[in-house]
Amino acid sequence: MTTATWHKKDFYPFTAIVGQETMIKALILSGIAPSIGGLLIRGEKGTAKSTAVRALAAVLPEIEVVAGCAFNCNPAAPEHFCPDCALKAKSGIPLDVVKRPIPFVTLPLGATEDRVIGSLDMTRAVREGGRWFEPGLLAAVHRGILYVDEANLLDDSLVDIILDSAASGINVVEREGISFRHRCEFILVGTMNPEEGELRPQLLDRFGMCVAVEGIRDPDLRVQVMMLKGSYDKDSQNFVADYRDRQAELAGRMDHARTRLGHVTISDEAVMRCAELAAEASVAGHRADVAMAETARSIAAYRGASVATEDDVREAAEYVLFHRRREAPPHQAEANDRELDCNDRSDKNDRRANEQRSESRDRNPSGGHGMPDPDRSVLPEFGSETNSGETIFATGDPFPLSLIPQKKDRILRRGSGRRTVTRTPSKAGRYVFSSMERKTDDLAFDATLRAAAPHQSVREKRDVAIAVEGRDIREKRREKRIGNFIVFVVDASGSMGAAKRMIETKSAILSLLLDAYQKRDKVSMIAFKGNRAEVLLPPTNSVERAHRLLDELPTGGKTPLAAGIFSGCQLIRTHLRKDPHVVPLLILISDGKANVGIGGGNPLAEAMAAAEEIKDDARIRSVVVDVEKAGLISLGLARKLSQCMGAAYLKIEDLKADYLFDFLKIFVKSQ
Amino acid sequence: MNTQQRAYPFTAIVGQDRMKKALILNAINPKLGGVLIRGEKGTAKSTAVRSLAVLLPGLDAIAECPFGCDPAREKRMCQECLDRLARGEEYSVHTRKTRLVELPVGATEDRVIGTLDLEHAIKKGEKKFEPGLLAAAHRGILYVDEINLLDDHIVDVLLDSAAMGVNSVEREGMSYVHPAEFILIGTMNPEEGELRPQLLDRFGLCVHIEGIADLEKRVEVVRRRAAYEHDPMEFYRLWEAEERALRERIVYARDILEKVTVSDEMLYLIAQIAIDMHVDGHRADIVMMKATQTLAALHGRGQVCEDDVREAAEMALHHRMRRKPFQKPGADEEKIAGIVSHSHYHAHEYVNAHDHHHKY
Repeated sequence: MTTATWHKKDFYPFTAIVGQETMIKALILSGIAPSIGGLLIRGEKGTAKSTAVRALAAVLPEIEVVAGCAFNCNPAAPEHFCPDCALKAKSGIPLDVVKRPIPFVTLPLGATEDRVIGSLDMTRAVREGGRWFEPGLLAAVHRGILYVDEANLLDDSLVDIILDSAASGINVVEREGISFRHRCEFILVGTMNPEEGELRPQLLDRFGMCVAVEGIRDPDLRVQVMMLKGSYDKDSQNFVADYRDRQAELAGRMDHARTRLGHVTISDEAVMRCAELAAEASVAGHRADVAMAETARSIAAYRGASVATEDDVREAAEYVLFHRRREAPPHQAEANDRELDCNDRSDKNDRRANEQRSESRDRNPSGGHGMPDPDRSVLPEFGSETNSGETIFATGDPFPLSLIPQKKDRILRRGSGRRTVTRTPSKAGRYVFSSMERKTDDLAFDATLRAAAPHQSVREKRDVAIAVEGRDIREKRREKRIGNFIVFVVDASGSMGAAKRMIETKSAILSLLLDAYQKRDKVSMIAFKGNRAEVLLPPTNSVERAHRLLDELPTGGKTPLAAGIFSGCQLIRTHLRKDPHVVPLLILISDGKANVGIGGGNPLAEAMAAAEEIKDDARIRSVVVDVEKAGLISLGLARKLSQCMGAAYLKIEDLKADYLFDFLKIFVKSQ
Repeated sequence: MNTQQRAYPFTAIVGQDRMKKALILNAINPKLGGVLIRGEKGTAKSTAVRSLAVLLPGLDAIAECPFGCDPAREKRMCQECLDRLARGEEYSVHTRKTRLVELPVGATEDRVIGTLDLEHAIKKGEKKFEPGLLAAAHRGILYVDEINLLDDHIVDVLLDSAAMGVNSVEREGMSYVHPAEFILIGTMNPEEGELRPQLLDRFGLCVHIEGIADLEKRVEVVRRRAAYEHDPMEFYRLWEAEERALRERIVYARDILEKVTVSDEMLYLIAQIAIDMHVDGHRADIVMMKATQTLAALHGRGQVCEDDVREAAEMALHHRMRRKPFQKPGADEEKIAGIVSHSHYHAHEYVNAHDHHHKY
């Protein structure tokens, strides 16, 4: 692995990181005790997340490995030897033992499956005509740390592989005519910026600990950050040298803690405390309890004690419960897991209170979403009048749409073919793995050559080392997130002004917008009022712009519903001509009342006719969000409209409710 | 790479001073982390970047090295060069121009980060790394026009290498690492969609440009362009003195950059600006500090002054601010100016911090 380590020598020293004590401590703990099960660092950009993780590699303690073994076999555990070492051991060849730092492997963003799992050794296959395994990253990381930067952006297929191996501790390879398995126990350390979207819950649960970081507000420390970074950049060699003692001291302390960890016990009271804290936080399952006890033991080991106390448990709880804490009833579990930060902002109570929002920001400055705007904290409760008799309503707080987006995605993508696999004609997207199935002419050279390599001894070759035949051909399977295209058709007529309806509507749209941002969807917005519909926002992925327009959107006048639906339909069709791969979704937000037509006919009938048009176009999916208040007289017009449109029907309250998921599931089945 | 068709001289570009300055600053100090140029089409963005590459002084490179390693910086060399040194082999050094590598919007990942050398594999049955655009851009400029239209996964890879100065490849059967230090210059038209904030933050500086309103200057743009098209060589000769002067200024600034000092007072001012402007994280502070040093070096000063801080803030903060939907354009600049003029660096409770920009 010489090539992989040459550039690591001058990393910013771990001990030179200013502040961020929680993150530092958590990193140290994961270096001491693999049994905790890894660490996830969440935080805004530019808070030394990656710097800290990469720096950790330099202070990690050493482990003993069999010399020359590609799988970092542990000489003390012959039962887990790789085939090579096992063979040597069996035939009585003495195994040399060397010390090396704990392996630290960074998973690059563009990694492909063959390099992660390992693959056929092409060079050797050509030379010797046989199949040998060429170890991949999972082999290199055995007994070490696997670092995934931007863990939330990782491709699903790679996530699955990593989760599988992390859970079983074994990498099973069955590919390219190779059947191989080797141990791969590793600590997963991930960093992510929640602004970019959340982690899959399965992945989240894999992390034993989770900490949040944010920028330091103290000017003194900020200045210190700059000064240290400045002198590091000026002369990294000297800078690193200056910290050599401190680094060595920390490495020594970690090493010491690691060796004594096995002897550190935990008191019965402390174990009780673990269980209590876990129960208080109503976590799912028992992983939290175990991780908490383990963390407490490593905290004790790190401070040099031999028994973990209740204080250690309390500290451990901070790291272990952060991402697991839920609010009581278990059916809400998933939502809370995903949007921990938003708990106190959630919609269960009353979202109108804007003062509360600024307060919740203070308590929670990392702001789960990153999108809500801190500077709009004192919004008028009700709309403010503009000159034209229109009213502009404030946008209510966004709420976590925890369940909808995920499921909605799956639905949409199924509709478009498959979520992840190639967009056949374009060859765009990330090459993730290869396949024998011939569908495209997108040749996967590496896999093809590997397939051909073992047969070279019997093939006729003309001046080449590898003769490729048709049956060797492998194709690339690419992964590309298929963008959704969401068109909001918003009723901005006078009737929407009643009873704060527009505030709720805007907040619903905002929530959808936030989701669209994280999913990299394109959005477009049409508003209808007075006697026409207007495309406020042409298709864009600038959700910021959409948000701005949303805030400025005035309400007032009559309701040209048909015009709204019609122009939404037009817009989607035009866009489909430009980019046939998008998956369009029309979201109509209205109470279904119409009083202005296009052609002078019955406004309502026209609206229904326009709706039919959408139903007839198989490419367009649609949802009607009914904003009619459940009152004495409920006209149910929006429901009728949704039937005409072939759309899913939701009440605005449903956007926030858990059962929406089930609803959408049914809706999709019926399609 | 037919740059020998004399490029338009950098110094002959009319107006767009902020963009030119940001480019020059990066040329002096590549550690600034690149420039993002936001603005409409036809505002000399591409011209400026191309002519910058021509303007820059040549650099020494190991001739045998596909990455053009710097013979003077052993610790940043690629593995092959290190091996070569270790074996005590001779190598030759040549001087070459700063490379400008353009990354087209349709670029595929294997071309960007490099891939398996197919020909070598088939002929020899061995794996060899075929360097991609990131390798070509090492020690040069990587120019991405319309970066907001680039596929997300490519941008991710790009910014990862830009931040680390290293391209690490684990794909298509290859496992390879090589140095990739480059000045990243991106352009975008915000009307066509934004970059994700995470990515915006990775650009050191950001400038906003628009077409020139001044009639006389517009005429001058056309006049110069016509003269250039008519006879590029002749046009270049007209500007040669200016070009040389700027080049010398850049070289001088590079020399003194190391010695520019930032007083505590200025550091506190920078920190205060970052706090008051509500930026995420610390990248803004660090970039501002580096930019002030570079600005001072450009002006031939050994000390950073308040004007440098103001100028640096304007270029480093624009793209890092949390969203303020109803802000008037220019309000940021006013606010920064306000903080600078109030520069009592220990004034923690600066009033403007909670000033909400309200619409109606």
